[in-house]
This record gives sequence, C-alpha cells and structure tokens, in this order.
Amino acid sequence: MTSRLATDVNVLLVEDSPGDVRLTQEALRGANISIRLQVVSDGIEAMSFLRRESPYTGAPRPDLILLDLNLPKMDGREVLALVKADEAFRTIPIVVLTTSDAEEDILASYQLQANAYLSKPVQLSAFESLVRSINDFWLTTAKLPRQGQSRG
Amino acid sequence: MTDEAIRAAQGSESAAKYRGLLEAAPDAMIVVGETGDIVLLNLQAEKQFGYRRDELVGQPIANIIPEGFAERLIADGTRSAAEALAQQIGTGIELSGRRKDGSEFPIEIMLSPLTNADGVLVTAAIRDITVRKAAEAHLTQTVDELRRSNEELTQFAYFASHDLQEPLRMVSSFMQLLSNRYGDQLDAEAQEFITFAVDGANRMQQLIHDLLSFSRVGTEGHELIATSAERALDRALMDLRGAIEESRAVVTRDALPMVLADPIQLSQLFQNLISNGIKYHGTSIPRVHVSATSAGPEIWSFSIRDNGIGIAPQYFERIFGMFQRLHGRGDFAGTGIGLAICKKIVERHGGTISVAPNQGDGMTFRFTLTGSGGLR
Repeated sequence: MTSRLATDVNVLLVEDSPGDVRLTQEALRGANISIRLQVVSDGIEAMSFLRRESPYTGAPRPDLILLDLNLPKMDGREVLALVKADEAFRTIPIVVLTTSDAEEDILASYQLQANAYLSKPVQLSAFESLVRSINDFWLTTAKLPRQGQSRG
Repeated sequence: MTDEAIRAAQGSESAAKYRGLLEAAPDAMIVVGETGDIVLLNLQAEKQFGYRRDELVGQPIANIIPEGFAERLIADGTRSAAEALAQQIGTGIELSGRRKDGSEFPIEIMLSPLTNADGVLVTAAIRDITVRKAAEAHLTQTVDELRRSNEELTQFAYFASHDLQEPLRMVSSFMQLLSNRYGDQLDAEAQEFITFAVDGANRMQQLIHDLLSFSRVGTEGHELIATSAERALDRALMDLRGAIEESRAVVTRDALPMVLADPIQLSQLFQNLISNGIKYHGTSIPRVHVSATSAGPEIWSFSIRDNGIGIAPQYFERIFGMFQRLHGRGDFAGTGIGLAICKKIVERHGGTISVAPNQGDGMTFRFTLTGSGGLR
C-alpha cells in the first residue's frame, strides 16, 4: 500500500482523445504539481475504475472527475447518471469538460446532476486558463469531502 | 283556364325554369329521389361521369357514387328522409365518383333539398376535386420533406459542434504548444509558419461557430412573445461592452416599442447590427443610433444608423448573403455571416431587412417587426 501525501489530490480524467489527454495533463501539471492524474478512455473503464474492479483494484478514489461527454462504448451522460445515482460515488464532484456548447447538452448534464459544465476553448491559452480555474476552484478553494485514507 | 290547369301550367313553367338553371350550372348537378334513384341530371354531370343522361335517369345513385351518398339520404329507423338530409346541408362532403369506364375520381358534393308534390328530392352539386387532392398530397409531401430536411440540419449542426471542432482544436493547440515549448529553438520563418497554421485553425473555428449560430436561428428559436425591444437592446449592449469600450463607440437610442419577438434572437439581432456599425468605422469615433418608427398598424420599422465607412450600392443585396465579405481579410476580421444571421432572424419574425446609405457618412440598417401593444 503506497502512502499518500496529505496534499495529494487525485483527479480522474475520462477522455478518449489522446491529444486532449495530453493537453489536459500539460495544463494540470502547469497549474498544480500535487495533482495525480488518472486517465480512462471510455465510460465502462470509468465505472470499473471507480468500483476498483480489475485491472483497477488498487485505484485511488478520485477527489474530482473530469468527464468528456462523447465517449465510445458508454457515453459521458450515462457515466454521469450512474455515478450520481450510486450512493458510494455521488459525493465526488463531476466537472463535464467537453467540446460541445449545445443547449441540449448543457441542460442534460445539469439535469443529471453534473457539478459544472465547461466547454473546451479552441485557443491553447484559453484552455490552459480554464484548467487553471478548475484547479483554483475545485482543488484549492472549494472544500471537498474527505474520502477516507484506507483502501480495503 | 281552370285553377288546376293554371297551377299545372305554372308548375310546368317553374319546372322548366328549374331545368334550365340546372342545365346551365357550371358544376355537375344531379337530382336524386328519396329512394336513391337519379331523377334528373345536367350536361356537366354527363361529361363528368361519361354517361348519356338516358343511361342514368332511373338508376341508383350508387352506380356512380358507390359509397357515402345513398346512405346519407335514406330514411332509416332513427330519422326521416328530411331529417337525414337536414344534417347534410351546406357541408361539402368528399366522396369517390365512378365513371362509365369504371375509373374512380375524387369528388366533393354539396346537397340541397327540393320539396315537391312527390316528396323530398335532393339536388347534389358535384365537383371533380382531382386537382385539389393532388395539390394537397403534394403539399403534405413537401411538408414531410421539409421536416426531414430540418431534422438532418439539426443533426448536422450537432455534428459540427463536436466532431468538426475537435480535430481543429488538436491542430491549433499543439501548434501553439510547439511554439511555446520550442519557440527559442525555431527560427523566425518557422515561427511564421506556425502562426499561419494557428491563424487558419482559428478562422476555421470561427466559421464553424458562425455556421452553428446560423443554423440555430431555426433549430433553437423560441416562440414569439410580447418582448420589450428596450430590454433586448440593453442585453445586446451589455454583451458588446468590450467592443464598445475598445472602439470608444457611442450608442444612442430613441424610445423603443414592445414587439412580438423571440427575446434572445432580438438581442442577437441588435448585437450583430450594432457590432457591424461599430466595426466598419473610419477615422472618427463610431456613433450608432437605434430608433423605431411606426410603419403601419402594429408594424414597427427599426433603424440602426452608423457613421462608418459605408458600402458601395452594388453590394446592398449581396451583403445579406452567406459568407459575403466585402473587405480584404487584412482590413476587417469577420466571416461574413453576421448579416446573413440577421436576415434569417428577421425573416423568422415575419419581417424584412434592408440597408441604405446615409446622406452623410455611414449606413442605416432597417428591419420591420410586428408590434405588441404600444411604446414602452
């Protein structure tokens, strides 16, 4: 069992575009070096990760989930619905981070109890700034519930 | 002459008059008795059904109008012939007629009663509505096609909002990352190449965004309600705060009325037109004035007047087309779709939009909207 620094923050990124994963990684690293970023590329993997099913048996519980909506196999909306319906996971804030700015997507996400909806800007500097503000708000300013240190 | 003979003579005179009228009628006319047999018909009826009249007189009406006619007239256990008839008067009934050659065609019949010594007769005016039915079918088909096309457009707009933008972000973002990370290892030319690439990606993104806005006028439009044009203008100016401050523009207005509109789209309309007025300014401070005058009962004509550089008359029509850009890319940024969006919004509201040069500097855009109860 690896020890966890008190300041470590676990963020789960659910994103299928490798380019976007890389950009998000770079931006998060630039914003906050205490972030341990885990990445899964579809909704099914995301649920396995949360439930600590193989191959994720040792997975840390995320403090924050960044969720893209358009994912293969199980799309982001389904993940949102499942996570928020599950007592074990619904306290984890989920920030939807996606390309769309369509009304119906925004509405649907909040109806499914997303904590926030963000659309990815095209400009790199704007994207970096957005990721920084996610860090500033969710991981620095907002209080998050203690998730418990033990991993059964 | 005896009374009876006079009555008989008068009777046959009015009968003759009646027959004359029937014969001259433009529609097919058929007189049917209580039993459902044809008593009388006119020339048009002969032509329409392809029979000689001696072939039809005395025959059941059901021979030429197989269903729907005879049943409507016949006295049955629940009502008399007169009552049955009374229920049908004045309404056009759509049925099917059958010609002598067996072919069927759609007809509309109007019934009127005729009472004589022999009982109740029914005069039926029969109109061939083949052409009308074809037009209705065509209309239904067109509506269906439009619905399908609209659905496809909605899907396309959704597709554009995700799938087109994502690869674009990859190109743009990684080009910029390249420049940021390795900039000092690259010479000026390489930097320039990167700048061109990034610029291209940004322009593409703007185009997609504008195309989406254009398509959303239809797909995300809300219903028209009583809207305060003043408040819509306030919202537009709030969104334009940055551009107004940057260009030191002065925007003024007269009192504006209540109109029938989609409040969000009205704001968008004001925003696009005022932005246009501000953008194409010459050397002087941009001034834009918004006003409205009555253009008829419950019709308002709005004016957005600027003091900018104006456009040549030959472009007045083109300016509202999609992607019409009248200036070189270096002079003024823009995808050229803003005014096409304005036109689509105005047309969705049932109005018209136009532009005309001012006597002095600049142009005035005018559009009409339906009023919704006075100035406010």
